[in-house]
Amino acid sequence: MKRIFLIITVLTFVFAGCTDKFEEFNTDKKNPAEVPGEVLFSNAQKELADYVNNTNVNINIFKLMAQYWTETTYIDEANYDLITRNISTNIYLRAYLRILKDLDEASSLIESSEVIAIEEVAKQNRLQIIELLNVYVYSHLVDVFGAIPYTEALNIEDVYPSYDMGDDIYADLFVRLDAALDNLDASEGSFGAADFYYSGDVASWIAFGNSLKVRMGITIADANSTLAQTAIEAAAANVFASNGDDCLMPYTSSAPNYNQLYADLIASGRHDFVPANTIVDVMVPLADPRIPYYFTDMVDTSTEAGVVKMAWVGGAYGYPNSFSQCSHIGSAIEAADFPGIMMTYSEVCFYLAEAAERGYSVGGTAEAWYNKGIEASFDFWGVSGAAAYLANPDVAYTTAAGTWRQKIGIQSWLANYTRGNEAYTNWRRLDFPILNLPEQAVTYDDIPVRFTFPVNEQTLNDVNYEAASTLVGGDLITTKVFWDVN
Amino acid sequence: MKKLTMLFLCLVLLGVHIANAQQKTITGKVTSVEDGTTVPGVSVAVKGTTLGTITNINGEYSLNVPADATTLVFSFVGMTSKEVEIGTLSVIDVSMVPGVFNVDEVVVTALGISREKKSLGYAVQEVGGDDVNQAKGGNFVNQLSGRVAGVQIKNNNNMGGSSNVIIRGSSSLTGNNQALFVVDGIPVDNSNTNNTGQLSGRNGYDYGNAAADINPADIESISVLKGAAATALYGSRAANGVILVTTKKGAGTSLKQPKVKLSSNFTVSNIDKSTFPKYQQKYGAGYGKYYYGGADYPGFEQYADVDGDGNVDYTVPYYEDASRGQEFDPTVNVFQWDALYPESPNYMKATPWVAGANGPETFFETGTSNTQNIDLSGGDANTNYRLAYTYFGLKGVLPNSNLTKNNVIFSGSHKIYDNLKVSSSANFVNTKGKGRPSTGYSDNIMSSFRQWYQVNTDLGAQKDMYDKTKRNITWNPAAYDNTAPAYWDNPYWVRGENYETDARNRFIGYAQLDWDITSDLKAMGRYSIDNYTELQEERKAVGSGSGEFGVGRPDVTSGYSRFDRTFTETNLDFMLNYRKKIGESLDLSALVGTNMRRTKTESVFVSTNNGLAVGGLYALSNTVDPMDLPEELLTELGVNGVFGSVSLGLSNTYFLDATIRRDQSSSLPEDNNAYIYPSITGSVIFSNMIDVDWLSLGKVRANYAEVGNSAPALSVKDTYAANSPLSGTSMATVPNTKLNSDLKPERQKALEGGLEMNFLQSRVGFDLAFYKDNTVDQLMPVSVSYATGYLSKWVNAGEIQNSGVELALFGTIVKTDDFKWDISVNWAKNTSEVISLYKDEEGNEVKNLQLASLQGGVTINATVGQPYGTIKGSDYQYYTIDAGTPQEVVTDKKLVNPVNGRYLRSSTNDKVIGDINPDWTGGITNTLGYKSFTLSFLIDIQQGGDIFSLDHWYGTSTGLYEESVGPNDLGNEMRDPIVWNDPDNMTKDGGYASNSGGIIEDGVVNNPTNNPAYGENGSVNWVRRSQENYVAQGYATDPNSRFVFDASYVKLRELSLTYELPKTLASKMHFAGASLALVGSNLWIISKNLPHADPEASQSSGNIQGWQSGVMPTTRNFGVTLNLQF
Repeated sequence: MKRIFLIITVLTFVFAGCTDKFEEFNTDKKNPAEVPGEVLFSNAQKELADYVNNTNVNINIFKLMAQYWTETTYIDEANYDLITRNISTNIYLRAYLRILKDLDEASSLIESSEVIAIEEVAKQNRLQIIELLNVYVYSHLVDVFGAIPYTEALNIEDVYPSYDMGDDIYADLFVRLDAALDNLDASEGSFGAADFYYSGDVASWIAFGNSLKVRMGITIADANSTLAQTAIEAAAANVFASNGDDCLMPYTSSAPNYNQLYADLIASGRHDFVPANTIVDVMVPLADPRIPYYFTDMVDTSTEAGVVKMAWVGGAYGYPNSFSQCSHIGSAIEAADFPGIMMTYSEVCFYLAEAAERGYSVGGTAEAWYNKGIEASFDFWGVSGAAAYLANPDVAYTTAAGTWRQKIGIQSWLANYTRGNEAYTNWRRLDFPILNLPEQAVTYDDIPVRFTFPVNEQTLNDVNYEAASTLVGGDLITTKVFWDVN
Repeated sequence: MKKLTMLFLCLVLLGVHIANAQQKTITGKVTSVEDGTTVPGVSVAVKGTTLGTITNINGEYSLNVPADATTLVFSFVGMTSKEVEIGTLSVIDVSMVPGVFNVDEVVVTALGISREKKSLGYAVQEVGGDDVNQAKGGNFVNQLSGRVAGVQIKNNNNMGGSSNVIIRGSSSLTGNNQALFVVDGIPVDNSNTNNTGQLSGRNGYDYGNAAADINPADIESISVLKGAAATALYGSRAANGVILVTTKKGAGTSLKQPKVKLSSNFTVSNIDKSTFPKYQQKYGAGYGKYYYGGADYPGFEQYADVDGDGNVDYTVPYYEDASRGQEFDPTVNVFQWDALYPESPNYMKATPWVAGANGPETFFETGTSNTQNIDLSGGDANTNYRLAYTYFGLKGVLPNSNLTKNNVIFSGSHKIYDNLKVSSSANFVNTKGKGRPSTGYSDNIMSSFRQWYQVNTDLGAQKDMYDKTKRNITWNPAAYDNTAPAYWDNPYWVRGENYETDARNRFIGYAQLDWDITSDLKAMGRYSIDNYTELQEERKAVGSGSGEFGVGRPDVTSGYSRFDRTFTETNLDFMLNYRKKIGESLDLSALVGTNMRRTKTESVFVSTNNGLAVGGLYALSNTVDPMDLPEELLTELGVNGVFGSVSLGLSNTYFLDATIRRDQSSSLPEDNNAYIYPSITGSVIFSNMIDVDWLSLGKVRANYAEVGNSAPALSVKDTYAANSPLSGTSMATVPNTKLNSDLKPERQKALEGGLEMNFLQSRVGFDLAFYKDNTVDQLMPVSVSYATGYLSKWVNAGEIQNSGVELALFGTIVKTDDFKWDISVNWAKNTSEVISLYKDEEGNEVKNLQLASLQGGVTINATVGQPYGTIKGSDYQYYTIDAGTPQEVVTDKKLVNPVNGRYLRSSTNDKVIGDINPDWTGGITNTLGYKSFTLSFLIDIQQGGDIFSLDHWYGTSTGLYEESVGPNDLGNEMRDPIVWNDPDNMTKDGGYASNSGGIIEDGVVNNPTNNPAYGENGSVNWVRRSQENYVAQGYATDPNSRFVFDASYVKLRELSLTYELPKTLASKMHFAGASLALVGSNLWIISKNLPHADPEASQSSGNIQGWQSGVMPTTRNFGVTLNLQF
């Protein structure tokens, strides 16, 4: 028996010493447990730019919604099929997981970081810049869905976040935006090189914040003119002053940091998108000098042998199109390092033109801002001839057809080319341009005016999903977002 | 008798030899009473001990027995066992009487302990090594299909591909549900190292499961331990059941008489055409006939002057990967793809518009395989050894695909002292693959053939073009003046240039010391290691079409990637075994042991970025842009276990076992990483209590067991994930899954009962098992609302229940001197239910856990109240009767849109439209012996289970299949246009013209507004659905549920005819034995309900099943095997 006890004793001894490495075993040695908040901020910026600029049919179909482009063979998205590719789910994935979560984490890491006194202002500036991007993203989500998880979002301890109504969120976003603007101090820096958009230049961020405020104000102008007017008039003097202030993402020419448009249009090797007839057919009669910059490849439309009739041809929106028999997307846009466009001076000019029409005091007439918007757009694409274009009676603010909604609607749409998200929002508010009906949509009312909530919210967050559906007036593509009142 | 080689369920008594100072050696020979020939493989054991040996090839044995040994027990499957008093004898020859299945059968149980099967309180089923070594496929796991009740094997048809092995249903919601493989006591890793893109249905390769490294030629027998009670001693990792493999060992009476066995097999393989599409031969390229070809040929294009003769020519819409275009007409000439390339004989020529002379079925070649095995073994009373080498070489049915394996194994043991034995084994396996078939949705030739194709393509011409130019001359160019691939490459280019290669070098070995401390007490110590490195290299040649590739899966047109992985597992085991007979009738045995397991996995995945700078050079340095960050993984796991068991046997009639094990796992939070779990089993052999002639064995058994399980490594502490820097700026992100520092072990609770009865001297019998397993507190990353900022969160929650019945039947139908017919039947039914998932603190309950989101908008889910593995997607809309509350849904009345005749599909994709679990599975093995011939065949059956076919989802839309053409109910071609009697009166009253095309879907008219044009709401559908373009059927307009198919099948899985050379003849030719066998596998799918494909085919093993895209056809194999023994 002694031998048995000996064995057991030895084994016990051997064993006791064998768990000391368990802690080490369960520590990830290939991924960092700690990072500075700045790297999360940089990541969120890039993810945001990727999200806003891509044209992946699974994620961002706003260029189709705005009818800048249409599809060739596979026309489901142009026909508003949001379900098959779970587009809404992917918007949540991008916005909450990849952008807002990283911004939130960056904010708390920076907040809790110890800095020397002289860095305190820069630290505050960083936090406020993060806040500006939060406002940018949340306002976009409200514009798409009408209601979203907001006050209870980004809390993993609460896995059933309730939804907040869009108007309440907007009201809070204005407060947050003002607070951030109040606390930005242009006398010091912020992120430096970690900020892709402005290299940490606080003055630029202040202009961005004010421009964003104008954008948000104009968006809700039909629903809450008082709030809109207050916001816009407070911000108008401090918005972007030229194209030099544009908020752009500088992409590089190689993967994975090239413009996601390049990934979808060129690297994919696919021929899924062509310019839609909707925009081509508006620009051609105006002899818009931006045409060869927006599009490329005229097509021979002759049906007679030996006769060549070259023309710009847009694909019939929402119908099958032959890639080779349509004009194509402009070559500048297809460059790998084409900058990601987040917000432009041109865009803001049109908002201010609209604000002027609404009687807000914005330091200029509607016409003046309208003209600046067009000139800025020409300038952005490097196109000359803006003056002649503005002289075209169909363009000139005083002579162009229709109401101010129509004029600003059409010209801002042309100026915002490739920026489907802004154009789709503007179309819903202004009801211009007149869009085409795709194959599967029977009436104009079939064109979605909001996106349905992600399908997986029905299963992962069902009680709040139901409540949110009631809140917005039915989870339908035909339910209008709160600001879309006419 | 011994000719029934199929029944060689040889047994090997492993481990401990009791030896006393005083002992003697008994030798002898075992013969068959039938014909007097010697019987190899007979177990010779000292009664009441685990001491024993088996007879060698000449039926001889030599056994050291203690002086106090009284009786020798001779047992052999298929013969009645025999007990002989030893007395003073030193030579004991016996002749054995054939029986059917032996009542006293000894089986290998957990930890390699051999036990009499009748004493066990749980279900164990054995399979002989020969059964898995007949058909040569490279993966012995597939040969288990249909042989064991309750073991569901899914063989996915990919060359060298992975096989899904599920025992008694899936018990883990998100974790590994594959059975554990244990070879001679060493757990053998069975990882599936396919990348996540591949596993979720994107493009990639199926690199197989690592258990395929186990060489079937080395297998002596397989024991399948199904329930938790059987596996409890293995600890947490065995919760999914254990496939326990015992390898062949050397044996003999003299070291100077080695036994040499040679085995040689040649197999040819062809595809089973019932598992490949049958194509329509009437319409060519296009999604419809709307390509500006003018009124005469609207399916063609007419805008280019291809040949430069000044006239605009008709061209094919080359860029379209569908076949709903212009109808074929041999009198019409058109410029097809082969008119665009100067190397083509049809360059600048318009050629007749006809279906391709060589369709996709001609793409497959005849596969071959060749297996060579040499086996050298021997031994004497103190020493034994075995050295074997196996070569397996396979050429697949796809061009440029092959797989080779080299396997060397050495095992031996030697007694240093009478009571001290060392044994060890070393197994080296080298596997090399090249050109495995691509799988999944995109960039996969099979997905082109099944989903996206022009039936006008002549693949013979594609082959000629590739052979001639070695360029990617594709049937699918972007335009007549732009021959870059629109979507699809020339398939011969893909096979010839874009192939993967892979290699795995593996060492599995152990060293073991057995020390018989006393005759009752034995100690064992063992160190074992399983180590392998693997390399997977993937290529995309310059000139290919764009597709997802490499790190981050961006679209590129060329590239090279490599995945390096090293896996090491070591186990250190100590065991003390005490065995005592107390009094006349009480057998006691007890065991205590420890196990220290350490597992380390390291991998790196790295690829070129943005293409290859220079064609043909597959090196990372040949990248166009600087490489993206590699994907690196390092996981380490340590588990320390202590365990004990007590077994009591009373009067050989009442048996009671109890086990307990405590594991401590490094993957759990440190302060809560130990867990203890027990099992108790009991059985009563009631046939010992009643004395009736016809009952040979009657036994009831019952058990209860718990098994704890720990989390995967690295589930506790949150980290960040780095992304590629941009212009020198670093980036990192919060990962998608929130880890959890409060995890605790999950637990499986299993209850099992059984009844075993043998009749008529065990000529017939059955084994019936009932079980119910509940796995609670599941460790899983539960999906959460994305608004939380995460996709999922690790929690302990959820419960799955699997309950079922298993029945194994055997019997000898006919038995005469020359002829014998044995039959064995396995049948099993498992019912799985997800009882609960996850509740938060406020009591909100998650009702659905998405396991995978797959192309086509379908998901695989665990849903509360449903079986594990529901398929969700869009469904039909059904007619509802408004009056009642709730509304009554009439599920046999599918609503049809009266405007276009299409089904209405649900607005959401969360409808349950299928269940991946079969209703039941079964297998029937027949073995017929006539003189020296043995015919054996196995019929493998699965009833029920659903599968969503992405191939049909797209392929019906693109109009590939034969059923997409032909006459409609009016006798007109269905693809003809819809014609109304009166174009101004397109109503039900107006009606269709007699020459109308289109089809009428089975359903009812949806007319809630009572529009008079459409007929009564809910009346039988009369509206014709146009079949003219791609919305005619399939993905663009139909619900997912339309493409959910019943996965039932009845297959002739294996057929073999063996001729064994009579002993007398063999010895004249100086052989100890010789046999010749004709073997076929997967010869015939007797019945199935899934058209154009094999319902078993899938992308990989794992939890994501029930979805098919671009699957390989079944391979039918015919082979011949020659066995020689010297």
